[in-house]
Amino acid sequence: MEQFDDAYFRKLANQIMFDLSEEEIRELKEEFTTLLEQLDLLNRIDTEGVEEMIYPFETPTHYLRKDVSDHVISKEEALRNVASVKEGHVAVPKVVK
Amino acid sequence: MKYADYQRQDAAENVKNAYADAQRLQKALNAVVTFVDVEAQLEHLRDVDENAPLYGIPIVLKDNVSTKGIRTTASSRILDNYVPVYDATIVKKLREAGAICIAKASMDELGMGGTNLNAYTGKVNNPYDLERISGGSSGGSAVLVAAGVVPMAIGTDTGDSVRKPAAYCGVVGVKPTYGRISRYGIIPYASSLDHVGYFNTNVNDAAKTLEVLAGRDDLDMTSSSAHIPAFSEQLNSDLHGKRIAVLGNVQDAIQDTRIKEQFTAMIKKLESRGAIVETVYLKKELMEALLPTYYIISNAEAVANHSNLDGIRFGIREAGDNLEEIMIHSRTKGFSSAVRKRFVIGSYSLFVENQEKLLKKAHRVRRVIVDAYRELFASHDAVLAVAAPTTAPYPNESVDEQLSASYLIAENHMLLGNFSGFPSMSVPSGLIDGLPIAINVSAKAFDEQTMFNVAKAIEEESGMVGNCVEVKA
Repeated sequence: MEQFDDAYFRKLANQIMFDLSEEEIRELKEEFTTLLEQLDLLNRIDTEGVEEMIYPFETPTHYLRKDVSDHVISKEEALRNVASVKEGHVAVPKVVK
Repeated sequence: MKYADYQRQDAAENVKNAYADAQRLQKALNAVVTFVDVEAQLEHLRDVDENAPLYGIPIVLKDNVSTKGIRTTASSRILDNYVPVYDATIVKKLREAGAICIAKASMDELGMGGTNLNAYTGKVNNPYDLERISGGSSGGSAVLVAAGVVPMAIGTDTGDSVRKPAAYCGVVGVKPTYGRISRYGIIPYASSLDHVGYFNTNVNDAAKTLEVLAGRDDLDMTSSSAHIPAFSEQLNSDLHGKRIAVLGNVQDAIQDTRIKEQFTAMIKKLESRGAIVETVYLKKELMEALLPTYYIISNAEAVANHSNLDGIRFGIREAGDNLEEIMIHSRTKGFSSAVRKRFVIGSYSLFVENQEKLLKKAHRVRRVIVDAYRELFASHDAVLAVAAPTTAPYPNESVDEQLSASYLIAENHMLLGNFSGFPSMSVPSGLIDGLPIAINVSAKAFDEQTMFNVAKAIEEESGMVGNCVEVKA
């Protein structure tokens, strides 16, 4: 079993692009303990040979539509919620130094 | 009030009264995130046929329903300034049916919670006792129907997020079959479990609402083209010969004897109406696995769905020296502690080295549970249980924010409806100490008619048709 120390949780959070406070890490440790106990409840169930169930129904409801543009939004609409726009582009700090 | 009561009155007056009521009660209930201007909508109403099913009916939308030009936050700080550039499919359907949206309602942030304590605008108050919780995640919607502000509000249900607040607030809460209502334009939580649902004050209106909302939508490839019956016309509370299963696991797990006894008394009334009732059990280990299975699947899907919330293209952007810092700062400040913790759990189960023992195991357990649940319907038309094992709790009583080992069954059995996609609803069944309690009615996939019919019989017995409560603002 992994070692759930502070650094481990901080790394997990940073991988999905946010930070955790020390208090949040402490709470998360407690929740992981409960989670792992609850996982034992899953392991009591025999799933040998059982296929994974991803969606409730397996009747296909999707199809490949024709390759024509549809439901297009304008450039203005696409940029309407952007915090920083310069010359019609989403502006962020320089990526390549 | 019921749709019919509204439709006897002037539409503009109805809408303006509802808007004024929502504003007057905001301090007491804290149910609204954004009030919506009704003038332009009333103008548009002139182009709608007066016989349209929801003509001039004031409604509320949960704040995860995209509304073009109207702020849509999903009660998350990261979306506090977000204004969609398109409408959800259900918004178009409701507009065509003549409904007028007066407000966007508070919810647990991004749908992730069952208390409505975790909303950026704060706790939503239960109209029966303002100190108590509304339940969540569709708490604002439930409360505004319960307080008589509007006769219908849209919610969404991933775990029991329509049915639990409906139970706590004494209103009808419907989660139809998965795929019955388009989810295009709904800010997601967990795509394999998310359903659009709604609240009404009575079963007849609930049947009508589904007629408006249901239907295939090519913009939501999980939506179904199944036939849509005339639910309200075919509503029939005659239970003669109906085979009803009572979920014994839930009944056994409830600690409040008054809730148990009230449920048993209601079942006797249904029997006297000709229903054939049998107590059935799912294996205890399957019921106890509901919550952990849900946690793994829903958090994994949520962290993936919300990877686009980074403050770059939309939402609140925090300062940073580089792109990565901007994203980290925006997401750290943008999401509450509760949501970030759930994302960590979700991400953990998505790691390649954990997938087999966690996510894939949960997916397999989901199938075992659903197969067993489906089996109940081979010999029964509907499955009944107490919707919530307690009346609405006080904030410090609710266990939602912990992965509590208690109440694994009684508090979480309605997950069966999300795992299976089968239709499931809460219908008020009475009051205990002046607080509402409810019964959960579930039926086979796409058989909402039977679900409505059984719920109608319960409603006739409880006398809680059109139930609302007066809030002293």
